[in-house]
Amino acid sequence: MTHSAISRRRMLQRSVCGVAALGVGTAIPQGFVAAAEDSERANENVLVVIELSGGNDGLNTVVPYSNEFYREARPNLSLGVDEVLKVDDNFGFHPSLRGVSDLLEQGQASVVHAVGYENPNRSHFESMDIWHSCLRKGESRQDGWLGRYLEQRIASVGGDVPAIHLGHRQQPFALESLNVRVPTVKELEAFRLLGDDSGGLRELLKPASATVSESSTNELLDFLQDSTRNAVSASRRVTDATKDYQSATQYPESQLARELKVVAQLIDAELSTRVYYLQLDGFDTHAQQPDAHAALLGQWSDAVAAFMNDLNAQGHSDRVTVMTFSEFGRRVAENASSGTDHGAAGPMFFCGGKLQPGLIGQFSSLTDLQQGDLKHHVDFRQVYATVLEDWLGADSAAVLGKSYAGLPIFG
Amino acid sequence: MNWLNEIDASWAWQPFEPDDDATWDSALAAHLFRRAGFGTDQASLTESLTRTPNETVDELISRNEEADSFRTVADSLAKTVLAGGDPMKLSAAWVYRLQFTPAQLLEKTTLFWHGHFATGAEKVQSASMMWRQNKLFREHALGDFRALTQSIAKDPAMLIYLDSASNRKAHPNENFARELMELFCLGEGNYSEDDVLELARCFTGWEIRNERFRKNRYQHDSGSKSVLGRDGNFDGEDAVQVVLDHERLPYFICRKLFHFFICDEPSPSDDLLKIPAATFRNNDLKIAPVIRQMLSSNLFFSHCARARKIKSPVESVIGLLRGLEVAADSNQIAEGLRSIGQGLFYPPNVKGWDGGRSWVNSSTLLGRANLFQRIIFDKKTRFGDETLDSYLKRFSATTFDGALDHFQRCLMAVPIGSSARELLRTQFPMRQKLSDSNLRRLLHSVASLPEFQLC
Repeated sequence: MTHSAISRRRMLQRSVCGVAALGVGTAIPQGFVAAAEDSERANENVLVVIELSGGNDGLNTVVPYSNEFYREARPNLSLGVDEVLKVDDNFGFHPSLRGVSDLLEQGQASVVHAVGYENPNRSHFESMDIWHSCLRKGESRQDGWLGRYLEQRIASVGGDVPAIHLGHRQQPFALESLNVRVPTVKELEAFRLLGDDSGGLRELLKPASATVSESSTNELLDFLQDSTRNAVSASRRVTDATKDYQSATQYPESQLARELKVVAQLIDAELSTRVYYLQLDGFDTHAQQPDAHAALLGQWSDAVAAFMNDLNAQGHSDRVTVMTFSEFGRRVAENASSGTDHGAAGPMFFCGGKLQPGLIGQFSSLTDLQQGDLKHHVDFRQVYATVLEDWLGADSAAVLGKSYAGLPIFG
Repeated sequence: MNWLNEIDASWAWQPFEPDDDATWDSALAAHLFRRAGFGTDQASLTESLTRTPNETVDELISRNEEADSFRTVADSLAKTVLAGGDPMKLSAAWVYRLQFTPAQLLEKTTLFWHGHFATGAEKVQSASMMWRQNKLFREHALGDFRALTQSIAKDPAMLIYLDSASNRKAHPNENFARELMELFCLGEGNYSEDDVLELARCFTGWEIRNERFRKNRYQHDSGSKSVLGRDGNFDGEDAVQVVLDHERLPYFICRKLFHFFICDEPSPSDDLLKIPAATFRNNDLKIAPVIRQMLSSNLFFSHCARARKIKSPVESVIGLLRGLEVAADSNQIAEGLRSIGQGLFYPPNVKGWDGGRSWVNSSTLLGRANLFQRIIFDKKTRFGDETLDSYLKRFSATTFDGALDHFQRCLMAVPIGSSARELLRTQFPMRQKLSDSNLRRLLHSVASLPEFQLC
């Protein structure tokens, strides 16, 4: 054996050990790595996605208060000029959106009008799957759009998990991919192994000692082994990262606000995680809509405003964007139960320090409807493409399957 | 890759007969009990080996009602909590049933229907309505799908959950009509938006007043409707029949039963489902025959099904309790199940639990380990009314290897991987008898392993 062959083998061995210790590499799925601090990555842009589940009534969120057809279609539910928070002569925010309205005035919020897709589906689950996967039923849906973006990043990833899902709900399909396991953090206190034997248990389950080489013929077992390893290392990293967080910002008392506070903590701790995903459920307002909708919008707006204030105070707002969407809007005409049924196009919202503030795009016509619902002017994949290209610096065509015209969202 | 496509459908649904390649041993019996129920202990595994697999399935199917004595106790437990009105307490009463029912398949199927016709107490906010719905599921669990669906269409908890407690002629409420086709009977893509609107008209006048169903004939639209290609003066009952008669119905329900009882993935083709779908239709949508066919089939006992499911939280936790005859605090378990993603009476939405990989994420895996930690180390937790070391002594399983083998046999679908076993060896004294606390620690370690989560 030649000298160079020996040293090459040594080097390989060393790098294999290194990879195993870090928990990254081709054979090992992406995990957290306490050791691999990457200061360059810690300054990259962060995307926070908030999903309003159930179908948010966009028409009563960004209200065309001066439009006579709006008031005609909604004799009981329409909001008047005295109630809305005026944005301009045509549109005003729902009165619960004080926080987001203030952000708009500070130049930290924008609305994209009339977002949707051709031939809209009015099933919650099907429409949500379309938003998550960018594929229609019948096409092979193996992963979500954010999952595909995360896969793209694998080669260059440094240490921390590339994305985190917060909340008690099941993980959104948008984050699914073949190789990247995204952890779900329900609450920080429960995100660690409890008990006197937690040390031994972590030893048993942790990445380095786990059965990396034992590949089975059972994909579910492989998946469980990956997931267990990731859970144990993610828990350690998140617990360490959030130990000493101090914030002067008062967050409201809501689940979403608690979760956004955790996100602020993790961003401040300089995790290199780039995508955070949160959900707020309950927007399926078929009956008695006014109070429920006002409460939900208030929770969303107050939480996002507190989060932005916190980021502004900590100096992180220029590298954070919050994108909010819902699987569909609601029917233009109200129903007999003081509610609204499933609809189609609706607004999307952006909050952050690097936006072009204001209302973007054309509002849907209230007279030219499709089966009683608003038509879209912007395909949601145009919005995704803009976020991928202009905010995350990714190749949007590779993620979305083709190129979509971008929008003037970022400043 | 869909390896289910490789399977010969007629072989798949033939009754399984043990032979030299597939012997009827305690591992295979444990597989049957995990799937048809929530697992069982060493004694009943041994006992079941004196019968054939088919006889065992028949016995499970034939217990389609609870014994009177058990029902009296379990019902009275549920009724005592109704007065308080807190559905979480009702959840604990259901945990008691899951832990102790002698009719395991009946309870497993009741849980299936809860996930299928998913209704959440968070919104219904009435323990008594949730309890009535739960009794409905149990009554029909192995009975008649027609009767079950007709009853659900009038169930107060369901209609309140779907915002359909009132439904007026002038503005038909689409919600129940949509979910009836999309989630309960046919699946998305098998109906049009017009079918939703027309079906909604059939249910006008159906309403809930004071927690009871009633028909308000002044609000019923008695005109002609056109639903799924059929025209008529349909009322709500007619409409349910029209949906139930649709050709896709048996496939939709059988696909869901397939994933619940046989394997999480991949999805079976229509070809593979043709035989159980025919069984379901030919028995006029009776539920027991199709479940019997699935549980006694070659496919069910083959490598395509064994260890091809991820345990739900209920299967994981109740499985450990039943496998080691554990008596533990039902309230603690009900809360715990909710925290790891399967709160009884608290499904995530009207689609129910997706199951499979969706049970698993970092939080739920840490949550499972932590819930087992609380249960196993709770001083009140007893194993067959004893400490764990005394309990295992009955089976002469108090050494490291003996205990590990016992846990594996009664609780797990696959053996513990060799490297995990080696690591455990270094953490526990090997040859001498283990103390009660060491055995509990070992059990907690085993229950936290990825292998343990397979069903």
